[in-house]
Amino acid sequence: MFDKTSPFYIDFPGRIKAIQTEMAKEKIDLYLGSRLRTMSWTTDAFFPWRSFIVIPAEGLPTAFTFVIDAARAADDSWLDEDHVMGFAPMGGQDQITQISDMIKDYLPHGGRVGVEAGMSNYLPEGYLTYYEYKAFEAALPDCTLVNAHPLVDRLQMIKDIGTINRFREASRIVDIGHEAVLAAIKNGGWKGMTETEIGGLAGYAMRKAGSTFEWSFTGGNEIAAGYRTGLAGGACTPASTKKVEAGEPLMVDIHALFGLCCGDHSHNYLIGPASERQRWHAKNFVDMVALTLKTYRAGISPSSLAAEMMDFAESRGFADFMVPGFEHGIGMLGDEWRIGKHDGPFPYWTDPDHEYLENEVLICAMQYACPDENIGFRYENPILLTKNGCEYMSKFPLAIEVIE
Amino acid sequence: MVKYLSEDWRKEVEARLSAQLTPDKMNNLTSSMNNLYLNCPDGNSHYFFVGFVDGKVDSVQVGVGEGPKAEFVISGEYETFAKISRAELGAQKALMGGLLKLKGNMVKALKLASLVDRLNKIIATIETEY
Repeated sequence: MFDKTSPFYIDFPGRIKAIQTEMAKEKIDLYLGSRLRTMSWTTDAFFPWRSFIVIPAEGLPTAFTFVIDAARAADDSWLDEDHVMGFAPMGGQDQITQISDMIKDYLPHGGRVGVEAGMSNYLPEGYLTYYEYKAFEAALPDCTLVNAHPLVDRLQMIKDIGTINRFREASRIVDIGHEAVLAAIKNGGWKGMTETEIGGLAGYAMRKAGSTFEWSFTGGNEIAAGYRTGLAGGACTPASTKKVEAGEPLMVDIHALFGLCCGDHSHNYLIGPASERQRWHAKNFVDMVALTLKTYRAGISPSSLAAEMMDFAESRGFADFMVPGFEHGIGMLGDEWRIGKHDGPFPYWTDPDHEYLENEVLICAMQYACPDENIGFRYENPILLTKNGCEYMSKFPLAIEVIE
Repeated sequence: MVKYLSEDWRKEVEARLSAQLTPDKMNNLTSSMNNLYLNCPDGNSHYFFVGFVDGKVDSVQVGVGEGPKAEFVISGEYETFAKISRAELGAQKALMGGLLKLKGNMVKALKLASLVDRLNKIIATIETEY
């Protein structure tokens, strides 16, 4: 936990009050959160087990998680042990009974209970399951369950300074991981190394520097060598036991976590000898990334950026290799996918016309893939949208070095 | 022989707990537990309340109805509690099987599980008519 003098301090009681203000506007008497992003954003603790948070109209919230982890979560959270409850398969202590009993204590005559229902292609999202929804509905006959997660989503969109600083620190840690990888692979150090080893040594360096978790649910640190860098659309490469080989590309996409905020930076190499054609691909990608970072600013949208960047790729003759999407959303742990709200043409996907606002943070994420030539590159970096540009948080120099 | 949940039984429980459960054995605990007996033979609900302050037995109460407020409330059928008191059924098994319902902070309850076992074992030594 960070005190008020820390640059990483976040006003969590203030966040709860902001939710309660929005609840009042929408006539929600009590909010029942279940998404990982809601847990992180309200408690400042990591909840790896199925968890819930009950936010009454006034006063402190209470989190619920599997009993084996409740004491640890309370220890990490700003909430005390009376506000982080454990549930277990015992009479009166299962999650449905325990939470329903609390809701009935708050709302003895019933009321409107906001829940989080929806869908996501992000597996750890944590919307209520059909079973949970029906079970709460049956246990709370005097209450009406209404879908209310947009009110939390709205509050999560613009990042406060404590959150931004945590992202900056996580990115600084990621840079240390990249330095460790570069030191290990240069001068022939890559020989005999596997993708998993590279992921591990990056993880060790980042842990030493203060990272608490190689957070991505996509397999922690994502490392790809050779043909695996160029798999079509290939923006997900859990490290395998493939060995790094001469003459092949190497993609190093590593993740640190600091204060539940995520560092995420991909850097690419060519293991020498590199052909002219490989160098051409590499230059394309580096130029594309540089232009993209120069283009981001408040006021543009994912679709306008993609159109502009794909025009550039077309003019240079590499549009066939670009995945035409340039970012994904990011927030505190569990908020890792959609950008903005839910007002796009496809529910629960990013609205392509979402207009970026100042102090939104997103992951600039670009994928270049040429399966026919077994080559590809990925760029990821958390960026902070500013009025006239963006701050890219990982400072590891943009380049695709040839490692001899 | 004393009758289960009677005043005589309560006195015996209080005497034995006070004598055998030293503050040290009770980890200097301050807490309270109320067992709520449903469907008793007389048709009523009964309660058995025990409170500890700094590990000392502070209050043992029995009666008809819901009883005083307590940090933990365990409710269930009279017969289930009777089986536990006769050592025919473990309290944990009864909870995990849904025969008893616990209300209170489960994390704190975990810390108290062994202490409650100690208490139940002492109560089970009382010659009781059910």
